[in-house]
Amino acid sequence: MKKISFIFLLLSLLTALSVISITQAIADKENHKDYGAMKISECNDCHKAQGITPNHDATWLRSHRLLAERGASNCNECHAQAFCLDCHTGGGIDAQLSTRNYRRDYMPRSHRSDFLEIHPLRAKTSPQSCNRCHDERYCTSCHSRFQGSDLQFNSHRRQARDIPLSSVGPNHANFTPADCRNCHPNGLLPSHNIWASDHASEARRNLRSCQTCHAEGDVCMKCHSAKKDVSGNRLGLQVNPHPRDWGTIKENLKSKSGGRSCVQCHDTF
Amino acid sequence: MVMKTLQRVLCLLVISLLFVANSWAVEIRGRSSTQFLWFDDFYNGRQTELTQYLRVAATGIDAAGKFSLYGYGRAGATLQNGDDIYNDDRTNGRLYYLYGDYRDIGGKVDIKVGRQFANLSADSSIIDGASFDVKNVGPVGFTFLGGRNVIFGLNGEMGHTGDYAAGVAMYLQGFQTTDLDISWFRKWDQYDVARDMLGASFKQYIFNTVKLYGNARYDMVSEVFNDLLGGIKVFPLANLSLTGEYYQNYPTFDTTSIYSVFAVNRYKEVVARADYTLNENLAVNVGYTRQDFGDDDSRGDVYILGCTLRPLATLTIDLNYDRRSGYGGDLNGGALDVAYDATKELRLAAGLAYDVYQRDNMTGEETAKNGWLGAKYKLNNSMSASLRVEDSVDKSDENNWQGRFVFDYDF
Repeated sequence: MKKISFIFLLLSLLTALSVISITQAIADKENHKDYGAMKISECNDCHKAQGITPNHDATWLRSHRLLAERGASNCNECHAQAFCLDCHTGGGIDAQLSTRNYRRDYMPRSHRSDFLEIHPLRAKTSPQSCNRCHDERYCTSCHSRFQGSDLQFNSHRRQARDIPLSSVGPNHANFTPADCRNCHPNGLLPSHNIWASDHASEARRNLRSCQTCHAEGDVCMKCHSAKKDVSGNRLGLQVNPHPRDWGTIKENLKSKSGGRSCVQCHDTF
Repeated sequence: MVMKTLQRVLCLLVISLLFVANSWAVEIRGRSSTQFLWFDDFYNGRQTELTQYLRVAATGIDAAGKFSLYGYGRAGATLQNGDDIYNDDRTNGRLYYLYGDYRDIGGKVDIKVGRQFANLSADSSIIDGASFDVKNVGPVGFTFLGGRNVIFGLNGEMGHTGDYAAGVAMYLQGFQTTDLDISWFRKWDQYDVARDMLGASFKQYIFNTVKLYGNARYDMVSEVFNDLLGGIKVFPLANLSLTGEYYQNYPTFDTTSIYSVFAVNRYKEVVARADYTLNENLAVNVGYTRQDFGDDDSRGDVYILGCTLRPLATLTIDLNYDRRSGYGGDLNGGALDVAYDATKELRLAAGLAYDVYQRDNMTGEETAKNGWLGAKYKLNNSMSASLRVEDSVDKSDENNWQGRFVFDYDF
């Protein structure tokens, strides 16, 4: 239903804007190839008079996405694809002196200071920005070698594995998930309320951060999995991680992925 | 492996160019950039590398001047890799693009074949494949594209067999003050559908002083708007722009990832920003962003302030400051960049960055400092050399020196 609404919305918008635009002077856009070498400050000479404001202004870094992704984008009249890829994929053939590099890859200005030090904060507060240029596998290739215990997240400081059974007892790390129900027959989460709450909040707010280290989600499945081993013992705790509208989208996921994500937690689905 | 592929492709390119160069007046332009870099690798320690970039554009290959070839890539070799003397994998490379571009077939079709950057309102990708632009067929144009999905990692490509991407876009054409585009993009991961996205973007100029714009990305698998952006830019004066934006993001994942089944929060932000160019010597900007991570106790505030000074025609000073507080940590810092054209041939530049940050309310404040010096000298119209040296001081490193020497040759 949402899909149909979305398509209807788009077509309505297309029609409405077409009608509006047809009432305007219909003219092909100027080819800018001949103006490629001009200074940006000179663009206003033509643009202001025509009511078309220059789009290479101070907000260009933030706003260029819309200009570049439209079908009739005219970026290539002045820029080779290298202009895009030097920022988006670390190329450096035209790097300015001010352009920083991390190892052999060059970085845009948003990667300020010693970005290796700053990036956890940036990634936590604006993860969608990271994903515009980096596939999650890019993060994993480095994070997979990092010690998780060094992280400074609430949910990672003290984990179930670090909690002793009693003041003299062994840590939980000595047990497998299949053993949990032996001591917690009525469920596990109430006794780990603070940890579970911190962990769930952080995961919901920035699930991509989890993925950068736990690429396959194996640590998540210790609690969330509903699988059993051949003897019928639980491999996880069946804690449901799905969103509220799961019932309406689960078939989509199953059919598109061929059940690849389902089979990780469920024996039958 | 990467190096071999890159070498083969570049050889093919050169051979084909030499072949056609005899037939027509082919114009070959480009840049070769040889770079020597030294830096600390986080895991392996001190590392030095030699990297060769090559970007080439061959135009006028056919008599009508419609066919062109474009290529860009780099190949690198690690000369020193800390104590890791046993690692034989000391080469790396990226072929960014290499495609043939045949424009205006019948005045209506542009075709690109080869590795290329594909960017639609629904999604983007680097593909090994083809794209077709159908234009001048009325008020609407079309783009069709498809091919192997190329993913870069730290040391090379990270894709698998069965990683593909395909997309279609339809857009308004021939309207000077209006852009409208709708598109569909699908990605495959080892033959399974990983992403299925619809996208739309629009831009409308009104009253000569206002620009309205928006962008939406709809994830057809999760049935949710992945990205939603709406904005207005007002230009009351030629040198003043005021921006207001609303943006929201609902993180979605490849269907083949276990993370696609987890509940997440919707992220929202509101942005207000002003940019004012007082005169040729001074431009300032100020902005505020309110971030909302989906819970009552998860908000953030970001303030930015920046200016560009040009006290002399040959001297440019950039100052940027930003302050962030709230969920996710506090950041308070800025950067200063200075560039001075000492002569026509020589540019000197330097910069400083200083950040005080606190990642979590349980951790103390930490600082990150970074300074750099650089110089670039134009040897003649086609050759230049530059040197840049940088030092970072922070919690991880007392002094982390890195730098690069670059020799560029334009042909």
